[in-house]
Amino acid sequence: MATPAICIQNLTKDFAVGMRGMKLRAVEDLCLEVGDNEIFGLLGPNGSGKSTTIKIILGLLEASTGNCEIYGKPSKLVDARRSVGFLPEAPYFYRYLTGRELVRYYARICMVARAEIDAAVDSVIKLVGMTEAADRRVGTYSKGMLQRIGLAQSLVHDPQLVILDEPTAGVDPLGSAAIAEIVRELKRRGKTILLSSHLLAQIEGLCDRVAILHRGKLVREGLVDDLVQEKDAESLVVQGLNDEGRAAVEAEIKAQGGRLARVERPRLSLDAYFLKEVHQREIEHVTQQEGGEEL
Amino acid sequence: MNITDSFTRIRLIAGTTFLEAVRQKFFNSLLLISIALVASSTFFQQFDFGTGELKFITDFGFGALFFFGSILSITATTQLFFNEMENRTALTMLAKPVYKLEFLAGKFLGAHLLMLCFTLVITLVLSGILYWREMVLLERLGNELTSNVSLIRYGDVFLFGFLQWMKFGIIAAFTLFVASFSNTNLYTIVVSFFMLIICQLQYIVRDTYSGMEAGWERILVLGLGLIFPNFQLFNIGDQLVFDVEKAPAVSTVLQITGYGAVYSIAFVLLAQVNFRRREI
Repeated sequence: MATPAICIQNLTKDFAVGMRGMKLRAVEDLCLEVGDNEIFGLLGPNGSGKSTTIKIILGLLEASTGNCEIYGKPSKLVDARRSVGFLPEAPYFYRYLTGRELVRYYARICMVARAEIDAAVDSVIKLVGMTEAADRRVGTYSKGMLQRIGLAQSLVHDPQLVILDEPTAGVDPLGSAAIAEIVRELKRRGKTILLSSHLLAQIEGLCDRVAILHRGKLVREGLVDDLVQEKDAESLVVQGLNDEGRAAVEAEIKAQGGRLARVERPRLSLDAYFLKEVHQREIEHVTQQEGGEEL
Repeated sequence: MNITDSFTRIRLIAGTTFLEAVRQKFFNSLLLISIALVASSTFFQQFDFGTGELKFITDFGFGALFFFGSILSITATTQLFFNEMENRTALTMLAKPVYKLEFLAGKFLGAHLLMLCFTLVITLVLSGILYWREMVLLERLGNELTSNVSLIRYGDVFLFGFLQWMKFGIIAAFTLFVASFSNTNLYTIVVSFFMLIICQLQYIVRDTYSGMEAGWERILVLGLGLIFPNFQLFNIGDQLVFDVEKAPAVSTVLQITGYGAVYSIAFVLLAQVNFRRREI
């Protein structure tokens, strides 16, 4: 059996609060396994223990009890982090560096071989779609661009596991869709992605599996489809049916021992609708511009 | 831990820390004020002319170097550390294969590099002013002097600057130590200034110790004398620049340098002990 990317066993984290050292339990008896080449979503409301769990995985915090391993190595070892890339929530970087200099700096921190640095930097900048803005100062970047350059710095040393903390928080739907596409591309390249978010609509179409945390405890874990599907109902999407036909279908369902639970019109999510409309306008705009140039 | 890789990472973190520091308005303002103060020392006309004037300019310059250097060392180190914490760039950095000690050492060296820059500029300005006044004086006294003599040993100005820089290293290191367990900038700055005062007056403890009888009090005083470095050791300005006979031996300078280096390293290592357990 392949070594899991992340293996968490009976993890508990207590924080001492105040002068008397009162214990605040942030994570309680958490058991979790993230397989290789999987997109795994860590979901939960604010204060549910997502960030604490991520910090323990990254070795930034020590667990009070329990174990956490990355590809079989204890996560508290610096060596375990060689295979990890991390994008924090709302990242802030040295504003006076250009995007390219920043990614290059982190590549050198991660000891990417000198001969490979230029190629590695160019490759990740291209992957995150920042080629045009790479030579601008980070201080001039929009929030979406900061997320993208943050993603680039997390990938520059070619880690096998990528951890993204709220990667689309504060980013517009177009930017979110672009980040989601990058995450899918990373999976195609064989990477494992752990992402935490409370923007569930974006996670739903992206993750293979999710875990839901609440007050530091694992509430649910499993494949997205398994968790959200109604097991005892199916839906038929029908087009071009008149009232008579519909009555006949209903009668047939009844005759077969079924029950028509509800009738509703299929609908796009607002996210998908927005993206479709903007995308369409964008194509029209580009076509018009090209037409104008030809004239 | 691969030592070569470790040094590379420390160098990279120190370089970024230094670049960030020299872009701070505070550093540039303090540097300008210090230069202006050192330069203004020539305009204090109530003092006697002759070598008395040069001595005054030297003392004034050394005083400005120590005073502003201490302020800069404490505030810059504090700001550089807490900037990383508050902006969470430390989070991005420490999520990489970087040891916390490397991070702290990089921060320390970045701040120390900043102080080197500050010290060099001030000593250069001071030397320039001394040279200018010396030329004026030599021209005036030219007929009275029998041979070409230099009134000032400029190497000593830089030697004093170097020793002050070593002292700033200790200040930066103990500021980093305080910051490693502190939650706010203000607390770090206040405690560090208290430590600076204690270190300046530490010789009083040593004097007390020499007059005490054996017992636990003497052990306590000895302990305090060891914990807090004695900054008076670095104040050898009176032995430098003018008086050839009083000039300190090379071995003394090396001992003071070693003393500064040992305390700097010790405080950075102590900071690491706290920082290991700190939530980032």
